[in-house]
Amino acid sequence: MQTSVLEIKNLELFRQEQLLLSLNEQVNGGEILTIMGPSGSGKSSLLNWLTGTLANEFHATGEVLLNNQNVSNLPAHLRHIGVLYQDALLFSHLTVAGNIEFAMPKCDKKLRKQKVEQALEQVGLAGMAERHPDNLSGGQQARVALLRMLLSEPKAILLDEPFSKLDTQLRVDTRKLVFDLIREHKLPAIMVTHDHSDAEAAQGKIITLQSQGH
Amino acid sequence: MPLTRCWQLNTRHRFGIVAFFVYTSLFIFVLCCAFWPNSVLASSAVSTSALSTSITAESIESKKLDENPNVYFYAWGGDAQINAYIQWAAKQVQAKYNINLHHVKLSDTSEAVSRVLAEKSAGNNHKGSVDLVWINGANFATMSEHSLLLPNWANKLPNFKYTDPKNNPAVTFDFGIPTKGMEAPWGQASLTFYYDNLAIDGSANNQLPTTLDQLLKWSAKHPGRFSYPKPPDYLGMSFLKYALVVLHEKSDEKIKAQLNQVANEQNSKLVLTPLWDFLNQLHPTLWRHGQHFMQSGAQMRRLVDDTELSLAFTFSAPEVPAAVQRFDLPKSIRSYAMEDGSLSNTHFVAIPYNASQPKAAQLVANFLLSPEAQAHKQTPSVWGDKSVIIPTTLSPEQQALFKTQTPHPSALPFNSIKRTLSEPHPSWVEAILTGWQSRYGVRLLEASNEHDS
Amino acid sequence: MSMTPNIKPDLFTRIVKFSPRFLLALLILPVLGGLISVLLPAFGWAPALSQYSFNLQGFSELWLTPGIGKMVILSIVTGLVSTLLAFVITLMILASFFNSPWLNRIQHLLSPILVIPHAAAAIAVGFLIAPSGMFSRLLSPWLTGWELAPNGMFPHDPYGISIILGLTLKELPFLLLMALGVLAQPELGKKLRQQHKVALNLGYCPMTAFFKVVLPSLYPLLKLPTLAVLAYASANVEMPLILGPNTPPTLAVAIMHWFSDVDLNLRIKASAGALLQLLVTGGLLALWVGGEKTIKHFFSHLLTNGEREYGGVFWQKLTGLITALVIGFIILALIGLVMWSVAGFWRFPAAMPDQFVLSHFQNAMMQMSEPLFNSLVIGVITTALAIILALLCLEAEQLTGKNVSRFISLVIYLPLLVPSIAFLFGLVWLQQLINNQATFTHVVFTHLLFVLPYVFLSLTSSYRRLDPRFAHVAASLGTTPGNVFLKVKLPQLFAPILIAAALGLAISFGQYLPTLLAGGGRISTITTEAVTLANGASRRTSAVYAIIQMALPLIGFILAWILPKYFFKSARR
Repeated sequence: MQTSVLEIKNLELFRQEQLLLSLNEQVNGGEILTIMGPSGSGKSSLLNWLTGTLANEFHATGEVLLNNQNVSNLPAHLRHIGVLYQDALLFSHLTVAGNIEFAMPKCDKKLRKQKVEQALEQVGLAGMAERHPDNLSGGQQARVALLRMLLSEPKAILLDEPFSKLDTQLRVDTRKLVFDLIREHKLPAIMVTHDHSDAEAAQGKIITLQSQGH
Repeated sequence: MPLTRCWQLNTRHRFGIVAFFVYTSLFIFVLCCAFWPNSVLASSAVSTSALSTSITAESIESKKLDENPNVYFYAWGGDAQINAYIQWAAKQVQAKYNINLHHVKLSDTSEAVSRVLAEKSAGNNHKGSVDLVWINGANFATMSEHSLLLPNWANKLPNFKYTDPKNNPAVTFDFGIPTKGMEAPWGQASLTFYYDNLAIDGSANNQLPTTLDQLLKWSAKHPGRFSYPKPPDYLGMSFLKYALVVLHEKSDEKIKAQLNQVANEQNSKLVLTPLWDFLNQLHPTLWRHGQHFMQSGAQMRRLVDDTELSLAFTFSAPEVPAAVQRFDLPKSIRSYAMEDGSLSNTHFVAIPYNASQPKAAQLVANFLLSPEAQAHKQTPSVWGDKSVIIPTTLSPEQQALFKTQTPHPSALPFNSIKRTLSEPHPSWVEAILTGWQSRYGVRLLEASNEHDS
Repeated sequence: MSMTPNIKPDLFTRIVKFSPRFLLALLILPVLGGLISVLLPAFGWAPALSQYSFNLQGFSELWLTPGIGKMVILSIVTGLVSTLLAFVITLMILASFFNSPWLNRIQHLLSPILVIPHAAAAIAVGFLIAPSGMFSRLLSPWLTGWELAPNGMFPHDPYGISIILGLTLKELPFLLLMALGVLAQPELGKKLRQQHKVALNLGYCPMTAFFKVVLPSLYPLLKLPTLAVLAYASANVEMPLILGPNTPPTLAVAIMHWFSDVDLNLRIKASAGALLQLLVTGGLLALWVGGEKTIKHFFSHLLTNGEREYGGVFWQKLTGLITALVIGFIILALIGLVMWSVAGFWRFPAAMPDQFVLSHFQNAMMQMSEPLFNSLVIGVITTALAIILALLCLEAEQLTGKNVSRFISLVIYLPLLVPSIAFLFGLVWLQQLINNQATFTHVVFTHLLFVLPYVFLSLTSSYRRLDPRFAHVAASLGTTPGNVFLKVKLPQLFAPILIAAALGLAISFGQYLPTLLAGGGRISTITTEAVTLANGASRRTSAVYAIIQMALPLIGFILAWILPKYFFKSARR
């Protein structure tokens, strides 16, 4: 499996005319860069800029390089950057398997089913393929969301306070699972969090943003 | 914070209450409005249910009526100018006699005829819904045949004298049938034509058709620029009657005489065959290939304004300059009368035998016949319908009401009607209509069906 | 509630709790009664015509009517095609502009169309596509060489293309705004937008993401409005009267002519026709639902096949083109309408009138007082009644602590789903049996049937969104339920109530058939006048009427927009 590299070059992020943050970072495959900071410091906007969904009142200069390819001007759906939010955001009109298959690249139907089963088994959800996502527990939903993202074969991963809605024990388990899988797949990852234990568990570089209020 | 919230809430709720109150009071007000006229209607219907005698000059002098009767005037409502004139009349009779004149707008006068007929068969002999109806020709024939009209009142109207009935048979005969005082004359009409002189420019290839025969040739040369309203529309029927009468100009006197007789199966075939032959030639050259006809003369006029049609006709010549002055027809419109004759008739107002307000309806009819109303009606910018009043019966002041400015370029030039053609017997309307519908009405359907498959 | 079983609830609470049942009765009884009073004459039982035997004479007469097959086909084709077009274009616009600022712009451009009555829209479309309409004026004579208006077939074309065009242009904004309304619901809207984002992150192109992720959740909420549009499109009379052919017309128009014919015996045939119309519309609704099931069955696997792109760029461009066309059409039609209303001479190939005059407005205004007064009075009473009733029902919802049942929400749509032509005639027979003089009351009552659903739907979401803590605080201070309703809830709902009122007025202003039938032709409103004049003498006069028809509801909405600002400003001072 090839390793990917995510590079942020000369980013300057503004809200209206106010500079929120500037950043120059490189994240190698398997590494997790943690971004911390109070709300309003531009964490979410940074993620939105990376995925190409920056809101209108913001603007930014700089480049995102994914494996040395500049993706800054690509629309969101062509960037191959996966995101995991604090809500699982599973599609309630599809089953668990449907949610995952939805994410997978196009290939033979049987093969897809097989892959889904395998993946579910790997995260301890064997036999849940035909369940409805709304009937799963929070931890289970988080794991399905993770699989859905991973099986879409992203080149980089963004984590937007991914564990903040889970209780402590579940949080530790899920976090371990996510980080293990990121390392196993050698994907560059950026995590935004409020939680210091998340940051420590990530074992990577930590950047703390300053509040841009007065 | 709680204080401001509380205060805001208080103020807002006051506005809420105000809004609520406004709605409620409006509601009550309108409910009152809704029920009030009905109760008046009911009471006045009782008070005049005994059939009154005809009104006289003295009773008219007795100023306003004590009650406030509702008179329902059933009249064709497809022309905004005519509707406006009726509304003007309604205001006048309201001020003069306290009468509420309601214009019930019909798309075809036969609706009123069938309504009275239905009321008669249902035994409603006193509280009919129609008080006054605008009528002539076949509809009058039907109503008088079934005794659906109040007789012997029109000739006693005070203003009837202005029509000079002794020397002017047009106001006592409706399509050859004596009116017997069942209807009061309202206006006079001749079938005249108008054209767009930018479209028919008088060049060698595009001469104005002045006879029926020329019309056919012109239409063949300029397909799609002429048509007539779909029968049973009054104006469409009039065009067919004009064609029928002209086609028989050179016929044998015996056949010609049939036009003034009642139509029956035997004479129909004989008399109508030339008409069908003519239409068979004309139809393929018409607007939309004669497969779709306009609904009314009003629509035909609009198509002239649209320049889809270049030539059209009307039963009310002053309507044309009036329309030009309202911008509803282009400046390039000119009126003329056909050299082979103009079909002419008079139109009337009548009162059904079971009218709820016969007395008030007579007052309205008398007003419509007054010099004031007739002059207003003849004003080109109002309606432009020709008056039935003979000027010699009027005082100089009254005559002055009819004076108009120099004629509009689009108006029918003075004395252009060289010969008039009288209407055939009303029974021919039905005969023509039946024949037309079986020939062209059904063919229209078949043609469009073939088109689909 | 179960805690105080022995204390009798106060009058207000009893009235409120009774109101949903009243609402149900008010909606179901007239529709059902109307249908039965059409059903019986259709099978020959008509006491008013002294016919007391059951037979199929009405149907055999109907069958023998020349062109009956063509009428039915015309109704089906125009109804189905226009709904399908409006629906598909709505989806395409949503899909390509989802999450884009253009969606809001399009919404702003199209929402005024929503309040334009059908008759006015039809008149405007007629002006556009007539042989001498704006299209051929813009192309003549430089391109076409036409110095006189060409021989064309629009409007009134035998295939119903003009009707389809008119209906599509009118229903498209309705469906689009219904969909945007769903997306504006705070929780659902946010969820759908986030899910769309997830799909983008998973590499789906925006259009595919919309169809695979948003649509499956959105469609169930769009279904009833779409069916209402379909029912309306297949059975309405305004559009076909103004734009449709007359040899023969659509089924609904033919039925209307038979019913209003003074030959009462035709009513038996008309009743049979109304049943046929019911079958046609019912069949179309069933067809739509069936089609939807089929699509779901055969294409659901596509949702998860992983395909991310179906020529998105092409479809996006196509949608942009169609949207531009639709908006261009609407704008051109409105410009044409306004120009006609003030045009002096305006000979064919000229794109602009020779002069502008106000005399058409002046002339029309002089005749307009009665219809204008009728429109306003009927509209205000109807809307007031509808709002009071809707508020009471929603309050009942909160007092009992549960939402109105699915049954009630379906019944509210009843007058919109059952073709009005089918039940209105029966209803009018019934009304005349009860009292044939109170035409005004009948008109108001009939309007209420059509106004109530919209007012109710418009108030529902704001009422349910009310923060219940205000009511709790007030109650803890000893306020009675009646006073909580009047003094706490209504003031908070001031703005939504005004919006609902404006909507109710707009719906009432636009009613043609209910006014015509319940009023027996004696009560004229701006809309009945506009339809009567539409095929008449003067384009200029009908343009004036159409503009007044559009302006009336707009005034209502502007007031609804300004009044709260004014009041809240004064409250803050």
